[in-house]
This record gives sequence, structure tokens and C-alpha cells, in this order.
Amino acid sequence: MVTFVFRRLIQGAFVLLGVTLICFIIFRYMGDPVQTLAGQYATTAEREMIRQTFGLDQPAYIQYGRFLANAAQGNFGLSYVSRVPVLGLIVERFPATFELAFLAVCMAFVIGLGLGVIVSLRPYALRNRLIMAGSLAGISIPTFLIGILLIMVFAVWLEILPPFGRGDTVTIGFWRTGLLTLDGIRHLILPATTLALYQLTVLMRLTRAGMREVLAEEYIKTAWAKGLPPLKVIFKHALRNVMIPVITMTGLQFGEILAFSIVTETIFQWPGMGNLLLTSIYESDQPVIATYIMLAALMILTINILVDILYALLNPKIRYD
Amino acid sequence: MKKTMLTLVMVLFLSFMAATAMAAADLVVAVDTPPRTMNPHGSDADSNLSIMTNFFDGLLQLTDGKFMPALAERYEHPDTLTWKFYLRKGVTFHNGNTFDAQDVKYSFERLNDPEVSEFTNTGKSIASIEVIDDYTVIIKTKEHIPWFANNLHQIFIMDKESTESRDVGDVGQKPIGTGAYKLVEWVKGSYLRLEANENYWEGAPPIKTVEINPITESSTRFAALVSGKVDMVSGVPVELFDKVTANPKLEVVNRPARRAIFLSLGNASGTPAADIRVRKAMYMAIDEDEIVAKVMRGQATPTAQLPDEATIGYNPDLKRYPFDPAAAKQLLKEAGFENGFEITLAAPNDRYVQDKQIAEAVAKYLAKVGIKVTLDVKPKSVFFPEVGEGKHAFYLIGWLDGAFDMGRTYFNLIHTYDKDRGYGTWNGARYSDPDIDKALEATADMVDQDTRAKALQDLNRMTMMDKIAWIPLHYQQDIYALQKDKKIRFNPRADMWMVYKEISK
Repeated sequence: MVTFVFRRLIQGAFVLLGVTLICFIIFRYMGDPVQTLAGQYATTAEREMIRQTFGLDQPAYIQYGRFLANAAQGNFGLSYVSRVPVLGLIVERFPATFELAFLAVCMAFVIGLGLGVIVSLRPYALRNRLIMAGSLAGISIPTFLIGILLIMVFAVWLEILPPFGRGDTVTIGFWRTGLLTLDGIRHLILPATTLALYQLTVLMRLTRAGMREVLAEEYIKTAWAKGLPPLKVIFKHALRNVMIPVITMTGLQFGEILAFSIVTETIFQWPGMGNLLLTSIYESDQPVIATYIMLAALMILTINILVDILYALLNPKIRYD
Repeated sequence: MKKTMLTLVMVLFLSFMAATAMAAADLVVAVDTPPRTMNPHGSDADSNLSIMTNFFDGLLQLTDGKFMPALAERYEHPDTLTWKFYLRKGVTFHNGNTFDAQDVKYSFERLNDPEVSEFTNTGKSIASIEVIDDYTVIIKTKEHIPWFANNLHQIFIMDKESTESRDVGDVGQKPIGTGAYKLVEWVKGSYLRLEANENYWEGAPPIKTVEINPITESSTRFAALVSGKVDMVSGVPVELFDKVTANPKLEVVNRPARRAIFLSLGNASGTPAADIRVRKAMYMAIDEDEIVAKVMRGQATPTAQLPDEATIGYNPDLKRYPFDPAAAKQLLKEAGFENGFEITLAAPNDRYVQDKQIAEAVAKYLAKVGIKVTLDVKPKSVFFPEVGEGKHAFYLIGWLDGAFDMGRTYFNLIHTYDKDRGYGTWNGARYSDPDIDKALEATADMVDQDTRAKALQDLNRMTMMDKIAWIPLHYQQDIYALQKDKKIRFNPRADMWMVYKEISK
């Protein structure tokens, strides 16, 4: 078990290195930060001077080497746009994205799993068929369309939920949370639903398929025959065995949502990391982009390793040696 | 177990109570671009300056299209290189420090540092700054710059002591200026809260608290307005114009923008565009009225030149060449291009109103007279550097001059590219005409403002009508929307800045 985790960590380090290399290669073609830094009226000579000041005239491998050396010491540089340390900039936005992602994943997990179980019990009932048809919509409609539709229905027509922002937040230490005020929670509902919808439908279909398979097993028939209460049969005996693919999906989704909820954050003007990433791409703010992608890769790698460990704990039959 | 549960519930309950709902600000505004930094020199983009102007003042300010005294009560221009400013007494910064000539000297010298300033161009043009006494400053420029004073409304004065004693990050987050408003809170990516500066030298502004919400997604901005969450919105997109006008709760405020949209066309010898007949043919092939009506939904004004009415050099007598595809075909035939030719048109797709759609329309019109256009549309972060490097010979671009001076625009945009002298930085198509260069350079030495203005107008005519250096299209329209029942009195500014001390209820 220990060697397994260790090997995954080494692999993770290589992935991180590869990610930064790809970032730097892309920067060559992506857009010139000197444009952002020099202002509209700078002459060519002034632009050259600015290029030198920021070390952007050095060949790519020197810039890359410098970035790695600094990163190893925890110094990710200053943002070109706002001249503040990049790490602080990203971490400042983390609570907003985390709360959004967490709520979205909870919604997707609970509702998706619940609906999946309900639908699997009597798959040919009319209500359940309608739910499955509706899930197709959840998978195919793109996130931005869902977001805009929700805003239109709940904020503009019905005027019961707010269309943008986080609302009133409470700051505890460095963590700015929207969960402690009613206004903050109201602001969380629409964006979390937008994010959750796709994941919810995927989890629902996955659970349904898994449950259908498990419910046909012999040991389930035995449980029914023994006269166990239905809830115990369904949740304690059947669902447990479906959990492995479900938890894998949830883990992967959480990592992905945390790192790349860009579209939802843009639509709802949610002050999270995704919003920061998009603005930085427009402004060619390379230090922020490179650091962010590295951190995103780190988060996803960590979550994947944790999911693998959870596997082993959940099902003793699956152990990696 | 029960006890911990109880304490947990109590803590949550108390935090609920402690988080008092914030009172709504007097004025809640939604803008389309978030502020980058609170460092007033850190960005020369209008979207940032628009916010900075509320916290800071310059030596002059632009009110109702005229340059009025701000931190300088008056100024003199004794010779071509010297500008003498008499500063206002009794002004204090938000932290209580007195404003004096040392702050002016410090602020202008700071412009030279590329780490904190995007105004290095202005900083480098200054030869020396001399403090005569606490309230008199003499600035000498390296060369004769006729528009120097017109730029000063964008150069904000910072407090020397507090800026020097804080680090760059803090200066970029907490602005300390002399302006009409103080910053209460800035949650990056979310909102800014401003409160009135009661000690403001011009008198406290009528609106006491302002909340600025940057919302980049235009449909969300519109939803915020319609659902009553914001009182005012700047930058209404043309596609939503009809919806906004149709809504009885909303009021639209409209004004022609200062920004002109036009096509840059190089004239390298050997290319079709080197022939004046071809250029005129391309001009006359485009139906600008239809572009305004269909692509811009009526929200644009056709133009025959680049500078707007308020700019020195604007020539009211210039008229567009008429839309005449038959004449265009004839001209092409005379130039030897009866079967047309091929050309690539580059344009940004996220910078100007309907930029991509305008480029597509232009391509269609040119195709009708036999010119095959390949479109090369890309995001501004890739487009502008490529233009700066001279990669495109035919592209769509927009421009307005912050100093209201056509001379400065022309030196940047149409003068033959000369890297050493700093001319033609934005002449991406590398258009070159010695007659234009000569006439333009002659205006730089003129001291008498009226002679210079006349010379610029003549240059304007020569450039647009005789040489057809550019194909002008239209001025954009600045569209704002307000909640009718809030009774906000708002006069949009030509530079699209939101100056809250000018707004009242």
C-alpha cells in the first residue's frame, strides 16, 4: 500500500513538470504580455525596454528554468497585471470556488444517487422513464446555456433568486464564506445548480446501471427472501457494491469542478479562481496562468490518489501490491 | 456529544446574527470591465482610469468636454518646452496628508518606472520637473509636445509619503488620493464600495455611497438591471438594445462614442492597394449605411475621418465617398484588376462592438466587386501584438485619442514606421506616404494653436480624401441603461468614464 502511494506521488511530480513545460510552450504562441504591460501609447523602443525589464527577451529555456527554480522555493512571481504575488492572488479566490464546487458536488451526489436508486427499482414506470428522458437534457445542454436559462427564469421572471455575485459574506480569518448568511446561501443556489446538473445526471445514470446489475445478484434475492426491510436491502446491501464507480466519478468531478468552473463563474460573476484564470488569459498574465495550471494539476492529482486509497479501504478485494 | 452539538448550533446562530446585511448603496452600478489595480498609473485603459478618477485627481480635469483646473488652479506655457503650474492650496489626501508640489514631482517621476506605470511614454517625454515653492511646479519636456496639457487629466497625483512607505502590492489595493470618493472595500472579482470624501476640495459629492459591480457577461449584466439588483449599467450590447428600450422600467441613455472604427490598408509597392484607384474602389464598395443599420442595429454613426468632433484636427467639411459598387468595379478595371484580386482581412473578435460581424460584412461587400477576402479573426491578445509587429496589411481597428489631438494619433498610426524615432508604432499595415509625413512633422513645430489646428484639418482632408490612407467606417455608440424610478441624473461622458461626483439623484 505504501509503495503504491509512493509510486503515485513520483508519477504526480512528473506530471506537474510536464504540465509547466506545456504551459511555457503555449505561451510562445498565446499572446504578448508586453502588450498588457506597456500601455497603448508606448513606442517600439519603450516596449523593448519593458521586455528587458521583465526578462521577457530571454530565450524560453532560461525563462522556464528561472520559473522552476523560483517555484521550488515557493515564489511564483508577481502578476503582470496587478503586481501582487501570484500565489496570494489565487489562494484569495480559493474559498469562493471551493464553496461553489463543494455544494455542487454534494447536490450532484445526493440527488444523483437518490434519483438513480429510485429509478432503478422500477425502471419501466412512467415517472422513472420521464426522469431518464430528462437526464438526457442534463447531459446535452451546455453549462452556459443552463446558467443563462436559470438566471432568466429565477432572477428575471420570478425575481426570487439573485443573478450574480456572492452576496453578503462573512470573513473568518482568511476564509470568506457565503454559507453563514441567508443572502450568501441564496447567491450560491443558481451557480451550484448550474455546475451540478451535468454531474448529477451522469451519476444518476451510473447509479441506475450499477443498481440494475446488483439487484439481480443472488445475494440480493437471499436478502429479500430473508425478509429484511426494503431500505436495508437497497442501501446496506445493494448500494454499497455500486459505490466504487460512483465514488470514482465524484472524485474526478470534484477535482475538475474545482479547477475549471470557468464558464459558470463567468456567467454568475462568481469571484473564484476560474474567473481569475479567464481574465488572466485575456490579459496574457502568464505568471498567474502558469501557476494556476500547476495548482490545478496538483489538486486533481491529489484527489485521484485519495480516491485510489478510498477504493482500497472500501473494498478489501481491491488492494494494490 | 449533546453539549458540543449545542455549542456548534449557538456559534452558527450567533454568526448568522453577526453577519448584518449591508445597507444598499445610494447608487449601484454594473460595468463591463473589472478594475485591474488601484494603482492609478498601473493601467492606461479607459476602464481602469474610469474608476481611478473617483479616487484621484490630476492637475487638470475634463468636464463637459473642456479642460478645467483641478489640482492646478492655472497654468502657463511660456515657451515651447515649458509648462508652469500653480497648484491649489488647502487640499488633503484621504489619509490627511497635505497636497503640495512634492507630490506632483513624485507622481510624474514615478511614471518612468515600468514596474508600476503604463505611462512610460509620458514619463519619458519629460526632461525635468522643478519645484519652485510648495505650490508652484515647472515641467520641461524634451521636445515640443502641443498636447501635453491635454493629457494631464489622465495622470493622477499620488501622495509621496504613503506611496513610498508602502509596498507595491498595498499601493495596488488601497488607493490614497485627493479624489471625491474613498475606497471602503474592494473584493477582487466581486465589487467595489466607495464612500464620499466629505473634505473634497470641490465640495462633497451628492451621492454618498456607490457600489460598482463589474459583470463581464453581458446577459448577466442585463439580468442584474432588469431584476432591479443594480440601478445603472454601462456598456449595453447592441443585441440587447431593443429589449432594453422595450422595457418600461428602464431608460436608455445614448451618445456617439469617441472611438472610430476603420480599416487599415497598407500601400506596399507591387500590391494592388498601392494604386489609389484600388483604394477608392474598396472604399466605395462598402455599404456603410447598411452596416450601421443591420450589423450595428442603428447604434453607430458613419464617419469620413478618424478624429471625433472634440479632437483638434476634426474637419467638419469631410464627407464619405458614396456607396457605388458599379463605380468601384469601373475603377478596378481601370487599375487593371478587372478580375479582382485576393487579400486577407484581419480583425479582433473580442475588442470592439460587433468587430467580427463588421469584418464579415466588409468581406461580403468586397466580394461583390470581385475582391476575394480571406478573413483572419482572432482574440485581441493575439491580434494586437501581431498588428504591432506589422504582420497584417489589411485589418480592422478602432482608435480614440485620450489627449484629443489628431497630431498625436497620426504620429502613432499613419506616419511611416520609424522605430528609432518612435513613429508609426501602430502603423501595422506599414502604410507610407512622404507627403503625409512631411505635413505631419511640420505641425509638430507650430506654436500657434489656431495655425496648427488649421494645418491638421488640411492634413486630415489630404489623408482621408486624396490619399485614402484608411477606409473609415463609423463611430460606435455608447449605450447606458438606468432604472427609471431611481431618478438618476446622468450625462454620459465622451470618454465613457463613470465620474460619480457628476451624477446626482
